[in-house]
Amino acid sequence: MPKISDSLNHKNVVCPFCSLHCDDLEITVDDSKLSVRNNIPKSCVSKFEQLNLAKFREISSSIKGNPCDQKKAFQHSRQLIKESKETVFFNSSVDVNITRESLSAASELNGIVDHVNSSVFLKNISIYQRRGYMATSLTEIKNKSDVIIVFSNNLFKTYPRLMTKFLATKDSFSINPKNKKIYVIGNKKNNKRDCDIKDKRITYIDFDNKNISDLLDSFTDKKNISSVSNKFFDELLTSIECSKYLSILWATSELNNYKECNEIIYNISAYVVALNKTMRAACLSLAGNDGDVSFSQTMGWMTGFPSRIKFTGKFFEYDKDAYKATQLINSGNSDLVIYINSLSEKKLNLNKKNKNIVIGSPSTKYNIEPDVFIPCGTPGVDYKGHVFRTDNVVSLPLSSLRLSPYKSAQQILREIIK
Amino acid sequence: MPTLCLKNGNVFDPINKVFNKKKDIYIKDGKITEKLSEKIAETIDCRNKIIMPGAIDLHTHIGGGKVNIARLMLQEFHNNSDNDYDLTADFVPSTLKTGLQYIKMGYTSCFEPAVLPINARQSHAEMADTPFIDKGGYALLGNDDFLLDLISRGANQSEINDYVAFILKATQCIGIKVVNPGGINAFKFNQRALNVDENSVRYKITPRKIVRILARAVYELGVPHPLHVHCSNLGVPGNFKSTIETIKAAEGLPVHITHIQFHSYGNNGDRNFSSASAEITDYVNKIPNLTCDVGQVLFGQTATMSGDSMKQHANHSHAHPDKWLCMDIECEAGCGVVPFKYTDQSFVNALQWAIGLETFLLTEDPDKIFLTTDHPNGAPFTSYPHLIKLLMDKTFRDDLLDQMSVDISKHTILKDIKREYTMSEIATMTRSAPARILGLKNKGSLSKGADADITVYDSNIIDIEDMFASPTHVIKDGHVVVKNGEIKKYTWGKTQVVKPEYDASIEKKLKKYFDKYHTIELPNYTISNDEMSEVIGSHVNEIKCARKRIS
Ligand SMILES: [Zn+2]
Repeated sequence: MPKISDSLNHKNVVCPFCSLHCDDLEITVDDSKLSVRNNIPKSCVSKFEQLNLAKFREISSSIKGNPCDQKKAFQHSRQLIKESKETVFFNSSVDVNITRESLSAASELNGIVDHVNSSVFLKNISIYQRRGYMATSLTEIKNKSDVIIVFSNNLFKTYPRLMTKFLATKDSFSINPKNKKIYVIGNKKNNKRDCDIKDKRITYIDFDNKNISDLLDSFTDKKNISSVSNKFFDELLTSIECSKYLSILWATSELNNYKECNEIIYNISAYVVALNKTMRAACLSLAGNDGDVSFSQTMGWMTGFPSRIKFTGKFFEYDKDAYKATQLINSGNSDLVIYINSLSEKKLNLNKKNKNIVIGSPSTKYNIEPDVFIPCGTPGVDYKGHVFRTDNVVSLPLSSLRLSPYKSAQQILREIIK
Repeated sequence: MPTLCLKNGNVFDPINKVFNKKKDIYIKDGKITEKLSEKIAETIDCRNKIIMPGAIDLHTHIGGGKVNIARLMLQEFHNNSDNDYDLTADFVPSTLKTGLQYIKMGYTSCFEPAVLPINARQSHAEMADTPFIDKGGYALLGNDDFLLDLISRGANQSEINDYVAFILKATQCIGIKVVNPGGINAFKFNQRALNVDENSVRYKITPRKIVRILARAVYELGVPHPLHVHCSNLGVPGNFKSTIETIKAAEGLPVHITHIQFHSYGNNGDRNFSSASAEITDYVNKIPNLTCDVGQVLFGQTATMSGDSMKQHANHSHAHPDKWLCMDIECEAGCGVVPFKYTDQSFVNALQWAIGLETFLLTEDPDKIFLTTDHPNGAPFTSYPHLIKLLMDKTFRDDLLDQMSVDISKHTILKDIKREYTMSEIATMTRSAPARILGLKNKGSLSKGADADITVYDSNIIDIEDMFASPTHVIKDGHVVVKNGEIKKYTWGKTQVVKPEYDASIEKKLKKYFDKYHTIELPNYTISNDEMSEVIGSHVNEIKCARKRIS
């Protein structure tokens, strides 16, 4: 029987879902129903509400789509692992502790470890693997950046609170926030629609972001060869030249839609590096939303590589092409894929050529029934965890908001590997 | 836990003034104990063996954002195939390899000197994944807008003390470090240099003032480890003057000057680069509350990494290979990672090598100077045995000096220095002295009740470098973890922390600042003991502080 005391109110909750990891949420848990008390975008709220247990009471483990008890699912998983010659641990959405465990599991089985967003974040890392890079972080931008350029077609949909909470802020410590200039360059219609505040400090400029390099060249040569109107171009150039601290933001996941992606991100970075000869400017490349940063950071300290390694007995090897999970799956080189999807409700694309085990949040969807599905809890909702924010340097604690019927992904991994 | 006896070894235990004395050491329940009358589970024959407490590295970059950036930046060097556990480079090892390499050299406690408060979770997570060793971190302050603002508004010392104590608690650190005092912050406002008595443009305060206030805070809070100072003007020819001024800024309060080699440069001679080790060690020798570590340079590829974004940015043109990263971080500090190759063909690098050795040899008291390479800034920590040989063997270092590609003999007094470190002095400098300066009463000592962290070396090995590189036994918390170079057992050390008391009203002020200006909430900034053990994965051990005096 529900009592008053069963309703729990949590403050300063860190949102585990998007890589901004806003940590100001107030969430009430009532009979395992999660209600977000803050006035924040619906898309953020719905991520929590997706996990209301009422929806999932019925979801248990399953084998080939047939519900079974957990013990059976574990047994069958162990059997599949035993029979497998090459296992891929395909991290679809994870935190630090799940990554730690998937590495340790892979080392037991001489498996391969990859993340669904590796192709994108490897591009980001490749900037400073090849040349100089000036980076900044969100609090620095909030308090010091008087001119902010955001290259975006859809960013405010992916990171709903980016503008209100971090860029167009009411307060700044080191500058007068009223004088901030924020230029959002890209698909104007989308940007205007998705950005949830009207603020005269924001200027939307319609631009085809595949031509960012032209725009940067124009800035460098102080001569407009881009498709931006001369009026906007002159304003932008003046703002940049007068700025005390310029920040340029983009998301490589978005620019990755252009074949020029590598060139663009190198050029932004080179432009910022050059500016720093005489003034201050810095980049923030926004990370993906599936624990990309938590994953690549953890991989970094445990192996020296950001992703795509294979354990080979004594050693492990890194090869960003050879150990690309999708490649291994499509070519039929791996006979077992273990998907770990603790945070997102996205649809997993399973291949029937190999055996599939899915350790996933109960809201996980897939194209075909996996050989085994084991529901796991969500870090930050069902159990504690640790995530990195999009700027790579801030890491935050995930809390446990309710008593959960689900085990953590790392516990499940431990139990099926042993 | 089985009992253990180390029988008939030659013991060096500087804290108890035991130097090369034949003694039996008894271990029970992870601690050193008096002679046991009960039946002992394992006895190790230590005839012809040297026994010392486990070594302590008080300044080594082993965990946190910039270390990880360097690992990922320099992955082409991860091909160390003569290694038997993983392939990461010695100068940017994985956490696993860090632990393995340290324990195999007989190091049982290591301290990460640059923990950004906002990045403390990452530092601790990395150290938690580093096996065997006990660990700890120094939280960076002195470039954070909150503190600089407090100082510029004339806040009183007790308020600053409260803030410093809060940071220590929130970040689970054991000490406070200041890097290029005020300079990293000034760089964000486009200043490119900041001298000890120069006002920053934004806050109108000098590095001298920051050092004095922080040294006093650390002292008054009773934190055992003095303020850990990375001076202004890192690597700049002529910087020994600002180093001396920084020492004076502490006004006699305890301070520790770190990687002092990088701050002991003159600008004399036709190259405008010279050794000022004599001037610097003169101060180290005469000022009682002053300690330093060296940051010795050794030749080879490495990565430099520092919170000093101002100076790292200024030096990025020297990057080898040609890539680098600098970052402004959360209104707290910054970082800069610049890969670098020290070569004996470079006059500057060769002289840096000599300046480091001069500094070791001219500092009289081994209690005041610590053996570091500022891993990996001067060289990877795996080169410590080589460095010890340089200190203990004059012929060896003179020969190396003669063989150098570039002739620096007119620029260094190294050959005139006759001193060779004794085994006892090495034991002091790597064991008892760092334990004392960190307040680790149970470490660096073989006293009854001390943690049984012990290293056993084979004195039959003639080459001192070989001897120090491969202890026959390493004991951690009473377990034999290394035997003849092989890992016998994995253990996971604790995180050593201090939590001085403070007036909680500072948290109200901080909350206001956080609510308005920060992008995270204050409670999420703080790392609890439970989070350390349950989520991050390391248990904490608190070292007591004794408040000195309330100002
Ligand atoms: Zn250092």
